[in-house]
Amino acid sequence: MLGRRGLWGNLTLTVAVVLLLLFCLFPFVQILSTSLKYQADWGNPSLIPTQFNWDAYLELLGWGETEELAIPPSIERLLDRPGLTDAQRERILAPYRETADIFPFPRYFLNTILLAGVAALIALALAVFGAYAFSRVRFTGQAIIQRSILFVYMVGGVLLMVPLYQIAVGVGLAATPWGSVVALVLIYVIQTLPVSLYMLGNYFRTIPYSLEEAAAIDGCTRIETIFQVIIPLSIPMLVTVYIYAFIIAWNEFLFASVFLRQYDDLYTLPLGLQTLFVSKNAIWDRIMAASILTLLPVLVLFTFAMRNLTGGLAAGGVKE
Amino acid sequence: MKPQTVLERAENRFGWQLVAPSLGVIGLLILYPILYNVYLSFFDVQLVGDNVFVGLENYQRLLTDSAFYDSLTTTAIYLLGTVAGTTLLGLGAALLLNQDFPGRNVVRGLILLPYFAPVISVVFGWQFIFDPVNGVYNYMVVEVFNLTDERMNVIRDPDLGVIVVIVFDIWKHFPIAYLLILSKLQSINTDLYEAAAIDGHGPWGRFWHVTLPELYFVLGTIVILRFIWNLNKFEEVFLLAPNVQTLPIFTYYTAFTGVIDQGLAASVSVIQFVLLCGLIWFYVKKVLKW
Amino acid sequence: MRLKTLLCGAAAGVALMATSAAGAQSIELWTTETQSDRIATIQLLVDTFMALNPSVTVEVVAVDENDVPTQIAAAAAAGTLPNLINAGSELMVAFGEEGILDQAAATEMVDRVGRDRFFAGALNMHRNPETGEFYALPFHGWIQGIWYRGDWFDEAGLEPPNTWENIRAAAEYFHDPAENQYGILIGNMADSFAEQVFTQFAISNGGRQFDADGNLVFNSEEIREALEFYVDLAEYAPPGPQTWRARDYYIQGRMAMFFYSTFIMDDLALAEIAASSLTAENFAELAGGSFDPELVEHTRMVPIISNAQDAGYGVVVSMGIVDSDDQAETEAAQQLLSFLYEPDSYITWLHMAPGGMNPVLRDIAANDDYMADPRGIFARYGTDSIQEIIAGLEAIQTFSLVDGQLFPASGEIFARQIIPQMIFRATWEDVPVDEAVAWAEAQMLGVIGE
Repeated sequence: MLGRRGLWGNLTLTVAVVLLLLFCLFPFVQILSTSLKYQADWGNPSLIPTQFNWDAYLELLGWGETEELAIPPSIERLLDRPGLTDAQRERILAPYRETADIFPFPRYFLNTILLAGVAALIALALAVFGAYAFSRVRFTGQAIIQRSILFVYMVGGVLLMVPLYQIAVGVGLAATPWGSVVALVLIYVIQTLPVSLYMLGNYFRTIPYSLEEAAAIDGCTRIETIFQVIIPLSIPMLVTVYIYAFIIAWNEFLFASVFLRQYDDLYTLPLGLQTLFVSKNAIWDRIMAASILTLLPVLVLFTFAMRNLTGGLAAGGVKE
Repeated sequence: MKPQTVLERAENRFGWQLVAPSLGVIGLLILYPILYNVYLSFFDVQLVGDNVFVGLENYQRLLTDSAFYDSLTTTAIYLLGTVAGTTLLGLGAALLLNQDFPGRNVVRGLILLPYFAPVISVVFGWQFIFDPVNGVYNYMVVEVFNLTDERMNVIRDPDLGVIVVIVFDIWKHFPIAYLLILSKLQSINTDLYEAAAIDGHGPWGRFWHVTLPELYFVLGTIVILRFIWNLNKFEEVFLLAPNVQTLPIFTYYTAFTGVIDQGLAASVSVIQFVLLCGLIWFYVKKVLKW
Repeated sequence: MRLKTLLCGAAAGVALMATSAAGAQSIELWTTETQSDRIATIQLLVDTFMALNPSVTVEVVAVDENDVPTQIAAAAAAGTLPNLINAGSELMVAFGEEGILDQAAATEMVDRVGRDRFFAGALNMHRNPETGEFYALPFHGWIQGIWYRGDWFDEAGLEPPNTWENIRAAAEYFHDPAENQYGILIGNMADSFAEQVFTQFAISNGGRQFDADGNLVFNSEEIREALEFYVDLAEYAPPGPQTWRARDYYIQGRMAMFFYSTFIMDDLALAEIAASSLTAENFAELAGGSFDPELVEHTRMVPIISNAQDAGYGVVVSMGIVDSDDQAETEAAQQLLSFLYEPDSYITWLHMAPGGMNPVLRDIAANDDYMADPRGIFARYGTDSIQEIIAGLEAIQTFSLVDGQLFPASGEIFARQIIPQMIFRATWEDVPVDEAVAWAEAQMLGVIGE
């Protein structure tokens, strides 16, 4: 940079940075603060709770007092009849005892990880080949295809939602839980594929041709070159692209809500969170705590991948 | 087409083999739905029973419906507000964080957080901030700064809600603009600045004569891409402020609530799609200059 | 809430699978109880039934109440209707009119359970005006009321909010936006909460949708006055378009009155239990420190509003038997119903939401086991108030019921959310009351004309 900043320059800079950070982070602080407040404390504008309330987290994570769910007397009477054996009684009561939790965070967490993980993996696999083709192979129609993928990058969800759902219904995928999951994975793949293609394509261009030529001389086919030269050299970028695709799928809400609505065992975190919000007895502290819990994994991944991610995004977003 | 050598043909085939899976998935899951929407827009869609062909009637009804024009206006306000805000704040942040100061890397990371946070996990927080009774926004406006006497429900107000939605979108998406601009800024050759300094330009002059021209391309990209993406935006607006009806939300209400009319909704989608194509064409021709 | 509609709207056309276990009679029950704890209880009841009746398999499907009409339409088209529908009586009447329900089987069930055991009012809401049969069986119900801070009213020497004047006077008295205090919560977002609250005001002014001859008479002086009053009253509500969620402000001590169903009893008591772990001193210095640790005791409820006449509003939730060609399925459905109306099963169901789900059977209302709810909520409110609420079920008035006569078209008008949109226009889009009401009537005519 040219020149030195004076006192005023420094001051302005500091104030500007602080304001910017405040703008970016305040909502997160607010969410955290509310998640730790008692209901009576909501009207208190201070960000520090008068008294810390951990109940929301304990409840969501199932770490609360492990007291056995009491069986109401009417149910006891109901089951206390000659027609039922003890074994039957137990079988009937078991699911009742289990489903006392309203936001089974561990299950939703696992669902989301699996869905996002698989979708990102497929997108990555497809993108490796596609991006290699764009950056290394000359073929007719290449330019058009590259442009149409750019186009796809821009066609958004709502336009596609109804037709996609009707297709899924038409081919019978929407009628079963696993069919819905498959449909959803495919949709996440197309949502993450264009970005992955761009980010990887740009990266592959930076790999010197000479390495590939050397491999070719050693007798590698093109496909083998991809596996033996390109992929090993791109590991950091592959991880980055994977994480980026993973985050897109992790955050997705609209399609998950369309496809998984009937199958509450398969809910993803965003969907579970929305359901928690519309269920009448949900209150702010629990919603905010659930928000924080949904946010946390993204935060961890993000910290992990930040360096590469920012570079890759910048390269992927600007051109090709 | 010029004749191809064997080698070229092999190369050709190889290229197609590599992109075929991606193309297949995209064609099936994106192109077909778009065409299907166009098809539906010519029908009176029945939930039960057969669809009735109605020609252009859906479009006619739409173009004579004042609610549709209201929605267009809202969309225009939303687009202008978000695009201007995102770009300007992104530019400001990039210029700021291109300066050297202690802790710069941490700040650079932290401001990306809004972009990576799931929408659903932040909308409730935003709603709480603007809650008329408990929210900190009203507390600041009414009690601390005494700007108005009465607390307002900005987020649900049919007229003011769009402002909150715009601010939210800027908050959520300026980091990506910032990122793109910053990476371009870092690649500007410092010689250019020195030359400008020798020409007698101060900081502002250097900004106008060196930085802005260098950023022209990336700024153009951001502006157009934000236009395009925000035209499609559904979740954010809908979850945050359901009374703000941009086109996608208008489509949703038409398709799924009250008098359910999926044919009409499809025609809104088609119009939205045509607008989108116009923007994309503009992007490709004027910005990418293909 | 709306997103759910979206999904299932999109799901229209989806064939909901009916899994059929070989050799067993398989039936399906759709319920609008979507909360997981309630599903668990319903599942327990159904599991018990299946253990006792090994030849019958029952599938329970939860459907959001806003989605029921579309889902039923789609299922009817696909031939995948359930055997039993558990939903609000207005929808049930509409389904009955569409020929989906087996009214003979329902009538037979009413007799099997015991026609005299039902409260007459609840039963009347299900009687087909043409045949005298029942569209469906009443199962339980809630009533709506104005819940208010009795201690504040006493202190201010105000009358209970039971008439238009009293309501407005109290709302004005307690409304102090500068201090962040508000008078009353009424619904003025375009959702069904708004319609429920408005209906009670409209009927208390003698407003109706249909006259005794079945003519649409919505655009009337009575309705216009009621809307006028409603728009005025909205001035004393917390800022902006509001819905039932704003009841939190009451719990926080920021609001004097709010409209709500009796489902609030559960919530209030639980909020109090949660707060009782804190001492009042901890919160003495709070900026928003008007939280009351004895909220339940200080809360009172007025179920009836009077102006030109008395009006009580509520909803009866019913069990409808879907018309099926397969006699065995219908019988299995009836068998399940018989089981659900047995005292222990019935009380188990009602205790899912004490106060919110009230019995429509006389003997159960007086049953000691019923009054001993597992969380002790009835004890907190006192036996008398519970009995008052149950009695209130008898006095429910809705637009579809005029002088004991049922107007099925009203159910469809309800489903189209015309009245909520009218309220939103009048309160937030500055549409004059006359125009808003005229607009609503035009929309209603459109619905009837279809």
